Amino acid sequence: MEMFLQLFTTGVMLGSIYALVALGWVLIYKCSGVLNLAMGELTLIGGYVCLSLYQSFVGHGLPVHYAFILALIGTIITGLLLGLVTERLFLRKMIGEPILAVIMVTVGLSFFFKGMVFIVWDTDTQVFLPTVFPIDPIVVWGVAVGQVYLWSFVAAISLMIIFVSFFKYTRWGLSMQACADDEMAALSLGVSAKFVYALAWGIAFMAAGVGGTLLGNINGLNYSVSMLGLLVLPVVVFGGLNSIPGAIVGGITIGLLQNLSGGYLDQYFPGGIKEVAPFVFMVIFLLFKPFGLWGWERIERV
Amino acid sequence: MSYLPSGIYHQSYEAEQTWWRTPFIKGKMIFMVVALLALPHVVGAQWVSVAYTINYYILAALGVQLLIGYCGQITLGHAAFVAVGAYCSAMMVLFVPWPKFLVDAGLAYPISVICAGIVAGLWSVLFGLPSARVKGFYLIMTTMAAQWITVPFVITQYVSRIGGRGHYFSLPPGTIKVGPWEIDSDTKVYYLSLVLVALCLLAMGNMVRSKVGRAWVAIRDNDIAAEAIGVNIIWYKLLAFFVAGFFAGIAGAFYISALSFVSPEHYEWFYSLLWVGIILIGGVGSIQGLVFGSVFVVMVFKLLEMGVLGLSGSLMETYPQLGWMTTKFIFFKESAFGLSVIFFLIYEPNGLAYRYWQVKNYFNLWPFSYMGKGA
Repeated sequence: MEMFLQLFTTGVMLGSIYALVALGWVLIYKCSGVLNLAMGELTLIGGYVCLSLYQSFVGHGLPVHYAFILALIGTIITGLLLGLVTERLFLRKMIGEPILAVIMVTVGLSFFFKGMVFIVWDTDTQVFLPTVFPIDPIVVWGVAVGQVYLWSFVAAISLMIIFVSFFKYTRWGLSMQACADDEMAALSLGVSAKFVYALAWGIAFMAAGVGGTLLGNINGLNYSVSMLGLLVLPVVVFGGLNSIPGAIVGGITIGLLQNLSGGYLDQYFPGGIKEVAPFVFMVIFLLFKPFGLWGWERIERV
Repeated sequence: MSYLPSGIYHQSYEAEQTWWRTPFIKGKMIFMVVALLALPHVVGAQWVSVAYTINYYILAALGVQLLIGYCGQITLGHAAFVAVGAYCSAMMVLFVPWPKFLVDAGLAYPISVICAGIVAGLWSVLFGLPSARVKGFYLIMTTMAAQWITVPFVITQYVSRIGGRGHYFSLPPGTIKVGPWEIDSDTKVYYLSLVLVALCLLAMGNMVRSKVGRAWVAIRDNDIAAEAIGVNIIWYKLLAFFVAGFFAGIAGAFYISALSFVSPEHYEWFYSLLWVGIILIGGVGSIQGLVFGSVFVVMVFKLLEMGVLGLSGSLMETYPQLGWMTTKFIFFKESAFGLSVIFFLIYEPNGLAYRYWQVKNYFNLWPFSYMGKGA
């Protein structure tokens, strides 16, 4: 029971990071209809940018926590800029192209980013040194929770709240919602679709960057972070491609599932069951509910 | 698809669908076969290995072209089926107690190639089953899942451990024998690949111009309309997955003869995407495009390798701190591939095959090129 609770809490907290990254993915899909396979590399870039900023700030003698917060803000700003540039250079020309072409552009981007990340930052595992969060876990009702997980959870949840209230209460957020709902109507009412696309990519890069930073704090940064970033795909399939609540619920579910399968199934299927379980679950889930929990069912006419 | 030289008209559909419609095309093909057969005696040893790599990519991307270009089922996990073929063939050659006469006749490896194709085809059908219910992005997800489940999990964690050989199977010299020939040199590997490519392209070409191919194209263009005119879409989709997996299995089984070992890192997700990139660069829905794409990608990689290695070699004497360029060469390769895919999709979405078609028609219709435009 204690083991279950342990796995449960860690799973939920890990899942919140996936939910954050998936939120960015869903946003891009909702606003511009692009199915983005480069999400793993976006998390990777975010993690590395934050790491370099953090190290240089610490090197300049800033206290650890201020350095980390500043680095996180720097990552968010870099992510926003990168997102705007990527959208302008590569994705804007692909509006209205067939699905395979758009997907392969994002695949091309992922190759490009991956190559660049490894040219700039090398392939060895790098860790945040000095460690940002204290190592000793907090024990609540007999369940030990690593502080990294706890703070990641807090950061992910608060960022998600910021994003969701941004969509609900600001002018830009409302124009994004309008564009996602009916692009033609939004255009005729004076919403700039280009601006909305650019904003969506910027926000996705920001969310992925923060997600990559948090994942890097948990396990260290290497290529496997981009594999974790790819886990957004089972998440969004589970929640429904164009549902923001679906992304959040799906993220937490997949994190939970991953942790529980790692804890309980690993003895029967040794090896990487933890990495594979979300994908197996996704295939089975697709057979029964192809549009996810809250995705829009598409009705086709000939 | 393509225009004939001026003044040639066919009277029947058979004449229009034949392989060699004019003596000129026949002569061109014969010239091509002779040139390909003579290739290893003309060029240096490193280019022979480039040539069989091209052939391997053609074989592997053939199934991708079938699924994406002809049947409209997007797959991003084809390396999984190539891996299944490679492992199946290697394990059959190594572990099956072959009767003496079969080994002496050099039939063990050819039989294993065919079995590898069938096993990979069935494995592919297993992951094609969701295509009965889902399509588009969701199908991409299931094929990706095929990649993640097959290569990093089943093969790396379980299949590679069979026989206690550790991470990979190595094939001792002499085990790969086709008929009287032992496949032990690059030239022989090249000829083997040439035979396999010829057979597979022939099979593919015949399939796409028959009833099966027309059904696939109907499904690609609009699956609901295809169903309405009486095409059994589930059956034909699964058939497409089987045939694509079969070709992939043959590709995998062929490549072990070139490598003489099998290890999971040759079947990573990168390769699945690479093969999709090849057909996009070459041209979707065209067998020629597949060949052009493979040649383009392999040659770009090779030239990049020569360029980067040559450049860093000469620069290193004056700037020793540039040594990272050689160690990180593979990342240059990946970035260049990613960028070339993006640029092809943005600026040349019809692929190289379309350019070739335009150039060919310009000469076919010369000097009356204006006749070909709209008509």
